[in-house]
Amino acid sequence: MRSTFLLALLSAFLIKANAQQTYEASAIPKELLPYASAVIRDYDTHVEVKDLDNVTTHVRQAITVLNKNGEDAAHLALFYNKSAKIGSIKGIVYDEFGKVIDKFNESKFQDQSVVNDDLTLFFDLRVKHYIPAIMQFPYTVVYEYDLRSKQSLILHDWVPVEENATALEKSSYTITCKPDFNIRYKEMNLQNSANVTTNDKGAKSYTWQINNLKARRNEPYSPVWETYVPHLKIAPEKFSYEGFSGSFTNWKELGKWQYDKLLTNRQALPESTIAHIKSMTDNVSDPKEKARLIYEYMQGRTHYISVQIGIGGYQPFLASDVDKLNYSDCKGLVNYTQALLKVAGVDSYFCVVKSGDEKVSLLPDFASMNQGDHVILCLPFKNDTTWLECTNQKIPFGYLGYFTDDRLVLACTPDGGKLMHTPKYTYDKSTQTRIGEFNIAADGTVAGSITTAYKGRQYENRQAIIEESNVERKKLIPKHYGINNLVVKSLDYSQDKLLQPVTTEKLSFEAKDFAIITNNKLQFSLNQVNRSSVPREVRNRVNSLYINDGFTDEDELVYTVPSGYKLKRLPLIINIEKPFGRYSASAMMINGKLIYKRKLQIIDGTYDKALYDDFIDFYTQVSEKDRLEAELVKDVN
Amino acid sequence: MKRFLFAFATLFLPFFAAAQDFEFGQYQLDELTMKSYPKDTAAHAVVLREIGDARIQLDAVDNLRLFFTYHVKIKILDEKGYKKGNIELPFYTGDNNTMEEISDIKGITYYTDENGNSQQAVLEKKNIFTEKNDKHWSSIKFAMPSLRKGCVIEYSYHEISPYYYYSFHTWEFQDDIPKVYSEFTAHIPAYYTYKATLRGPLKLTKNLGEVENDCISIRGVKNPCSKLTYAIADVPAFVEEDYMTAAKNYLSAVYFDLENFVNPYTGVKNRVTKEWADIDKELKDNQEFGSQMKKKELFKEKIKEITAGKDDLTKAKAVYAFVQKWFKWNKYVGIYSEDIKDAVAAHTGSVGDINFSLASALNEAGIPSEVVLLSTRSHGTINMLYPVINDFNYVIVKANIGEKSYFLDATDPYLGFGMLPLQCINDKGRVYSLNKPSYWVDLTNIPQRESDSYTFDLTLEPSGKFKGTMTHYSTSYSAYKKRLAIKKFNSVDEYVENLDEKMPEIKILKSQIDNLDSLDLALGEKYEIEMNGFENTSRDSYNFNPYVVEHRIVNPFKLAERDYPVDWGMPSATNCNVIVHLPEGFSAEAPAKTWALALPNNGGRFITNFEGSGNQFTFSYLTQFTKSVYSPAEYPSLKEFYNRIISAERERLILKKKAE
Repeated sequence: MRSTFLLALLSAFLIKANAQQTYEASAIPKELLPYASAVIRDYDTHVEVKDLDNVTTHVRQAITVLNKNGEDAAHLALFYNKSAKIGSIKGIVYDEFGKVIDKFNESKFQDQSVVNDDLTLFFDLRVKHYIPAIMQFPYTVVYEYDLRSKQSLILHDWVPVEENATALEKSSYTITCKPDFNIRYKEMNLQNSANVTTNDKGAKSYTWQINNLKARRNEPYSPVWETYVPHLKIAPEKFSYEGFSGSFTNWKELGKWQYDKLLTNRQALPESTIAHIKSMTDNVSDPKEKARLIYEYMQGRTHYISVQIGIGGYQPFLASDVDKLNYSDCKGLVNYTQALLKVAGVDSYFCVVKSGDEKVSLLPDFASMNQGDHVILCLPFKNDTTWLECTNQKIPFGYLGYFTDDRLVLACTPDGGKLMHTPKYTYDKSTQTRIGEFNIAADGTVAGSITTAYKGRQYENRQAIIEESNVERKKLIPKHYGINNLVVKSLDYSQDKLLQPVTTEKLSFEAKDFAIITNNKLQFSLNQVNRSSVPREVRNRVNSLYINDGFTDEDELVYTVPSGYKLKRLPLIINIEKPFGRYSASAMMINGKLIYKRKLQIIDGTYDKALYDDFIDFYTQVSEKDRLEAELVKDVN
Repeated sequence: MKRFLFAFATLFLPFFAAAQDFEFGQYQLDELTMKSYPKDTAAHAVVLREIGDARIQLDAVDNLRLFFTYHVKIKILDEKGYKKGNIELPFYTGDNNTMEEISDIKGITYYTDENGNSQQAVLEKKNIFTEKNDKHWSSIKFAMPSLRKGCVIEYSYHEISPYYYYSFHTWEFQDDIPKVYSEFTAHIPAYYTYKATLRGPLKLTKNLGEVENDCISIRGVKNPCSKLTYAIADVPAFVEEDYMTAAKNYLSAVYFDLENFVNPYTGVKNRVTKEWADIDKELKDNQEFGSQMKKKELFKEKIKEITAGKDDLTKAKAVYAFVQKWFKWNKYVGIYSEDIKDAVAAHTGSVGDINFSLASALNEAGIPSEVVLLSTRSHGTINMLYPVINDFNYVIVKANIGEKSYFLDATDPYLGFGMLPLQCINDKGRVYSLNKPSYWVDLTNIPQRESDSYTFDLTLEPSGKFKGTMTHYSTSYSAYKKRLAIKKFNSVDEYVENLDEKMPEIKILKSQIDNLDSLDLALGEKYEIEMNGFENTSRDSYNFNPYVVEHRIVNPFKLAERDYPVDWGMPSATNCNVIVHLPEGFSAEAPAKTWALALPNNGGRFITNFEGSGNQFTFSYLTQFTKSVYSPAEYPSLKEFYNRIISAERERLILKKKAE
């Protein structure tokens, strides 16, 4: 009895001491200031799993904003919906010297819907957000708030510092679980591992701490943030979510749960559609050909629109609804395509992926529900696994493109989940191959034609233009070539949607003042079609050099010049080889024609940061050579 | 040539006509089979028919409301046209008594199925969503079902709005897709007199009117309405161009502004927007305008403290700087303020809050100051035919000191005294004060420009590298932009480091930035640099590119001709001096010619100059645009001017070693 009383007293004392902390800006350790526009002074998160449908989170954070650029760090945005509610919010603002200048609560927060784009019809998530109105820097804002969640499938991950240009003094994260609630966790780039304690009622608490992190700078060609930013991922063993319950400790079990609970019995189709699919595929024997016909049929009649409500965030629309509406989100379209394929006896897997240009894999050794954000379809043909992106009406059968290529995804199959790797478009197969003919007239005008083929990861380079009307295409294309006064004579695109798809662009054009001709001298820029620019240098680089996109560009340009001209200088020949790429360029006169060749290969991968200076040097040379002028003189003899 | 000017035409009362809505749920076979729209083969979708009908009527509880009905049929020609099948209808939820309501949404998609049969899909209620966007706005969203290439969608809805009083329903004839036919009918009870204005270059193909007897009955008294019908057939798609102001300025649309109103219950006639004098009085009495302007001593003793013992201009500058630093603008734009005292206490507010406070503080300091109502560039131009208060969306301050006056906007802490954000440099402003009639002022020729001056003083070292200094002075709006760029970094050192990192050819050895916080002075950057030049100096001759900054390679103007003016907002000038000291024995060959290009009517010039003596030379060039706006007629010469600059800038200087 007495000891409890003492404890209560002590904790009251502690809170008071905490509340009195004033956060003078001068108390920030000097070594945390470089590149910081804000400093997180204190950031404590306490998650408590009281029951499978009752998880509370208490957060207290203090941020000192050093200048106007740091305002984003002081911006608090709390998301909520029917099953994730915001409890109390309160805050205090201190000036530089720790004097209280403002106090506020939830009423000062703005309430808004989260997404407002053309492709979202409805999303049940909303946000309350606030940013202090302070013009005198530095200042410190302290937020304290409670969140209450009715689900335990997705637990609050911990990322002590999310943004660049923000330093951290100290942060902690504690999760307390009721006795029979087990968690798994993955620590990434943390300073210490968990400190685990059990109280007398058997509730386990796990605590992590991190101190003194310097502000990160934006460094071009950095790896994906997960590889170097300190963070913690947490997943439950048993959980409840929107009326569903389950348990998992690995991808196999999580995939099984999704398959059984979210995906089955959602694929009934109307008779008329079944009949149509059958009549379309009955006379085709090759299952892959069946799949192609069905995929193209699906592409022809659907389009992407997002609707996310409750479990609808994870569960697809009924296939019969998609059949009626012709629209759905990625889950709905994948499920619909899967249903259509099933009619023709073709098996497929619903696959969860983290989408985006940047290649991020699901963590092979840690299963959790919040790692993916998109779904695609996998057709497990023997020795010929085929992948389908179902939200794009134009993409070729079997092609994923940069949005989901080369990464680990979770296939949800009747036998459980399994991780699979999507296809990689290697740098030597991601090509842009160009052949150009330029006829330069005596007045410097040029008439020419350029044919360019795009393959692999570069297949979609011109997609935005292709989808425009012909009139609009002709207006847009000059922005993609460096030729001044470019007048498009004709412009044609063709897309070969075979298994190695190719986009071909055929351009014929004229341009005046292409070459300058004075005093028997003819001068023009050798490469006006594909010039590289130099990435920003980075002093004292921290991150490895990471190249996400490998590619090969080849240009061969043939210049026909007015008769009698000869190259004034030696022909250009250059060849550079580095671990991350190669560049070669040459220009020489052959039979009165000036032939320019250029090849640039960049090899994707992660390289030692020491190579970054080399990388800049490489591009500096490439950029300089890309801008070379050809000088020809008239042979007056 | 197309007419581009802000076409305002008052529509005179028309004569008579008949209702034109079409039956819902019907389609023609040729609408389904049509493959493209011959009048615009680039169209992704085309409006086949669009009808709007707006009337002022009593609602169920006897409030006068605007009842609007919209009905449209759109042909979807390709996948890019699908976005016309995603419909979002925003509505204002102000407070519960005066909420807008949207109801009776109907939609049908007509399409040809795989077997070549015509089919229909009906929009279902469960697929219509209402989303609360924020405190004041919500929207209804729906996506038309069963879209596919070649389908036709049809939908209609009703809207009831309490917000019609000052401006009856606006109707935009033009959109980003073409329209075969667009028609709008307004039924206006005799209690109201609105002035209708047609904007944009298109001509009405129908402009009719009639009297509808007994169209509204208030307390048993029946009254007639004017029924006005406006239509345009074959409306082309509106295509935006680079460097233009609000599309709204050029879109064909009909606007209605209330002229007078007879209260049906009291019979009292209210003249509404006849004269500026009426507006002046209204604003003066307005709680959120005149009442705010009358507020004094907002900052207590502080204004006195910062202005004591100073001359007027210095006082004004001190007050301006003080107010700039006091407020954090909440990004809301508008001409009103709910309460400037609250805003002052909270250190944050809208454009109205901040600039009313500025005017009040300036007046308190003895600087006679007025406010100026204006319309921002994205909001459009002002109707000069008669006063329309809704044309304005921004308010700034005009401070009068002696013979001079200065335009001020305290929402941005980096603007110098007398400078306006680009958004505000648009058309005319209406100057307003509590004790004088309001008047117009031109906002397009305020003394503000983009001006940059560079000097390079470089020595070519025997190694082939250049060493020396780079000096850049930015003045007026250029200085403002530069300050924003520098302030993006936590310190000047970090800015310089980034600048250095962005220029691999140049190493910055030392730097000095002057007047970063003296907003009224030119911003100076001085760098000691080392620049990559040549691989060595052992050859007999080298090509040197003297266009070291702003080297233009491709013309920004690519269209053969323009329909709308090029509007940069302000004049600009860049000049650059390159002084080079060569190693002993080298000299620079004078270029074949120097340039002196000019735009017609002193619209701009490009001048180069070369002076060489011994192993030293100076090359300088100047690019100047003296106007803010260039008309479509001037476009070809502007484009050609750029072309010639680009040609000129391709020339190189030859550095030669003297024969021994």
